[in-house]
Amino acid sequence: MTPILSVKDLAISFGSNHVLRSINFDLYENEVLGVVGPNGAGKTVMLDILTGVLKNTAGTITFMGQEISKKSIYERVRMGIGRTFQIPKSFEGMTAYENIITGGVYGAGMSEKAAAAQAEEILDIIGMNEHALTFAGKLGLLDRKRLEIGVAMASKPKVILFDEVAGGLTESEIAGVLEIVAKMRKLGYSIIWIEHVIQTMLKGTDRVLCMANGVDVICGEPAMVMSSREVEEVYLGVKKK
Amino acid sequence: MKNNHSSLRAQSKTASLIKLIVAAVILIVLIVMPFVGGAYIRNILILIFLYMAVSQMWNLLAGYTGLVSLGMQAFIGLAGYVLALTTQQYGKPIWLAFILAAVIAVVFALIISLPIFKMKGVYFTIGTWIIAEALYVFFANWAFVKYSIGYNITVAYRMNLNTFYYLCLVIGIVSIAVVLFILRSKTGLALMAMRDNEDAAEVRGVRLYRTKLMCFLIASVVTAIAGVALYLNLAYIRPTNAFSIEWTVSMVFIVIIGGIGTIEGPIIGAIIYVLLSQILYNFAGYSNLILGIIAVILIMVAPKGIMGYLEERFAWDIFGIRRRIKPKS
Repeated sequence: MTPILSVKDLAISFGSNHVLRSINFDLYENEVLGVVGPNGAGKTVMLDILTGVLKNTAGTITFMGQEISKKSIYERVRMGIGRTFQIPKSFEGMTAYENIITGGVYGAGMSEKAAAAQAEEILDIIGMNEHALTFAGKLGLLDRKRLEIGVAMASKPKVILFDEVAGGLTESEIAGVLEIVAKMRKLGYSIIWIEHVIQTMLKGTDRVLCMANGVDVICGEPAMVMSSREVEEVYLGVKKK
Repeated sequence: MKNNHSSLRAQSKTASLIKLIVAAVILIVLIVMPFVGGAYIRNILILIFLYMAVSQMWNLLAGYTGLVSLGMQAFIGLAGYVLALTTQQYGKPIWLAFILAAVIAVVFALIISLPIFKMKGVYFTIGTWIIAEALYVFFANWAFVKYSIGYNITVAYRMNLNTFYYLCLVIGIVSIAVVLFILRSKTGLALMAMRDNEDAAEVRGVRLYRTKLMCFLIASVVTAIAGVALYLNLAYIRPTNAFSIEWTVSMVFIVIIGGIGTIEGPIIGAIIYVLLSQILYNFAGYSNLILGIIAVILIMVAPKGIMGYLEERFAWDIFGIRRRIKPKS
């Protein structure tokens, strides 16, 4: 099976600071790949590179058969890479409905009318019908996180990058996020999901990649990865005997 | 549920009808004003229309695209000189000055956009100011425009003042219509998104450079057209007043107190600014200081300006730029 996204030897340096040294992984269609690692492992930097916000200094990113390292942010969005942010970056002076329409119009190149119709469907999926006309700046954290997912979905992505969508939420709120992820899986999205709330993420992922110090440590079945010696050492801080 | 939707539709129709009636009444009052209000009121309204027009453009840039320019006087000054040269030096009609000013402004904006669009934030702000200052130095030392002596624009004394009033009214209305058209179009979504979070807007697919350039060109044209009218009203031009930062300072004041990033803000701000300027006319040395104090107090009370406060508090949307879910029948 050909991966939808393939990352080989991905690296980035800021001066002498080598944040990513060599990251390798494949993401397949309709797969949810969880990404774990200690703070400073370079997880968010990796998402910034995949979306084009940062340019990799080495390595390749192949998306749907095309090398995209040189492509602009705009081109990548239009090709089908969407993302959410660790701290939600909603358009606060716009309503939730307008936020999602904007995602459709600019991310997917839809007409405003089509994007508006799509926005109503997405509001349904993310369970935000009641808050459709609420300004994003007045939404609570859970709704902002939901809205982030909704706006990313509006650009009709093939791959969505989640950056700690469950971070800062209570247990019952996290269940709401998991519900949305389950719906998205049914709709065929491929997802890369960075998370610190590991137990939550493990419930919704097919494979897990562990990163540390800018390299991929291990990737595989969630249970196997989380019980591996490598993860225990670099992430959970268990020392070698 | 069906009754609820019907009631929503009815409410929305009533609101639209009320807005239409209010707009029509205001327009009629403005149309008959030169005949019933006298020369003083007419002159005040001319200033309000023109300051509102240039402030709408500054707001379009600073309030939506994040381009905080301190150099809009470059377009006003260029437009004033185009008017002076066209009518005084070459004896051509006023309408030609309007067209030439618009063309020169857009070409000038395109040229300066190459270097200044590479600058961000405060560097852009200073860059635009430096360009306007450079124009001042250039014009003050240019023999062709009579150095610092400048021109008396005598054509201004010969024009029909009521006609001029209507011209300024049209410029004011067109400036609102231009911003309204942009905000109601797809580009409006991009502008509102950029206003709220530029980085996120880019990741959602908004092309920042293209959108900013488009707004910069539109703002330069409308500012230049209003600039020609401002110099028809002043009837003289010198490099010191043409390229004075005071033009942009007044735009900043108007937009900040009226409400940045709102279409209504520059209207409210222009009315307050022009009326305050009239009151403060007798305190020439202190007028800017007093205006500054008023602005600071207002910012402390309502950081988003008068309209920003009303929009947030009462969800006002006078010009209907908000996207609403259409009730399904």
